[in-house]
Amino acid sequence: MIPFQYITSFLLVFIGVYALIYKRNLIKLILALDIIDSGVNLLLISEGYRIAGNLPGTAPIYTGYETLKGVPMVGPLPQALVLTAIVIGVSVTALAVSLAINAYRHYGSLDIRKMRRLRG
Amino acid sequence: MKQEIAFLSLLFILGSLLLIANPHYGLKFAFNSTHEWLTYRYTDNYYITHGLKDVGGNNIVTDIVFDYRGYDTIGEATVLFTAIAGAVALLRPWRRDEK
Amino acid sequence: MRGQRPSTGREMEVDMGLIVKTMARVTIPFIGIFGAYIVMHGHLTPGGGFQGGSTLAGAGILFLVAFGLKDAEKKVNRKVYSALEGVGGLVFLGAALLGFSVAFFYNTLWHNGPFFNGKPGTLLSAGFLPIMNLAVGLKVFSGFVAVAVSIAAFRRWRG
Repeated sequence: MIPFQYITSFLLVFIGVYALIYKRNLIKLILALDIIDSGVNLLLISEGYRIAGNLPGTAPIYTGYETLKGVPMVGPLPQALVLTAIVIGVSVTALAVSLAINAYRHYGSLDIRKMRRLRG
Repeated sequence: MKQEIAFLSLLFILGSLLLIANPHYGLKFAFNSTHEWLTYRYTDNYYITHGLKDVGGNNIVTDIVFDYRGYDTIGEATVLFTAIAGAVALLRPWRRDEK
Repeated sequence: MRGQRPSTGREMEVDMGLIVKTMARVTIPFIGIFGAYIVMHGHLTPGGGFQGGSTLAGAGILFLVAFGLKDAEKKVNRKVYSALEGVGGLVFLGAALLGFSVAFFYNTLWHNGPFFNGKPGTLLSAGFLPIMNLAVGLKVFSGFVAVAVSIAAFRRWRG
């Protein structure tokens, strides 16, 4: 059994850090931060999975059909913490985009090699 | 020169992480027996068995987010409010532009 | 840059054509109803405050993109939306302080209270959970729509 979830998450973090080193445009750096967030959230969610014999786990919601077959429930605690992490990622992206708009207004271009001195 | 060293160290970290994901001597993916579930994830077991009686909601994840761990939700609401207030305050028109 | 016109800063004031406007008029009410369902049934089905608020913000941003900036600025008053976000946060804190005599986050409406006290599985159950879902959904929706309209209405520097 090859765990595909862990390999995908590590590849996503690698792609994000590679783009953070080698690219020059400011919008591409903001997109790289978002890709790293997605990779870490995927790693955290796939820690709570559970199997019982041949049956896969279901969502932790009481609907009234559980006691028929004995299907196990997936752990709910990682899902609650990842909810907070997703909202914090969106907040960081919103603030970074507004800072990038103001930087373009002062310097005239979005290249990070041209933003060297502080201008008021 | 610095960029080559950065790329090689990044490849080294990726290689060590892919060695960790081997299921024989690394991270286990899915638990298969009840004994392992009760030993390593007893908190999840407590939330599943006592959530309906203490809080009353059928959805256990909403139970945890708003009742068992409500402090984290207050902190997250504060972070969201601060980020949006800062973003709206940075995008106001300046007086020097309108001349 | 060769072959590109300089941006005049007025690209967001034009709407997007007849086909897009007609489809937006059809689908925006359905997205609004679906988002309100996700927010209100947060303690029975998958969903809750944050997920439903994001869906409702999707409907608001579709309205801004399809109809242009002039129509959106008539309907969205930015100061009212910023005040609504603060009201949502205060209602969330007030619902948490109702059982302050026992502990900070005590669920006093479920154990001994007049209102949300029914059988587990109906809509009026689970203590202060529906109140908190509505407050957080209102906060997320008004915050995202205010940020989107602020970014679109920014007068850019002629470069």
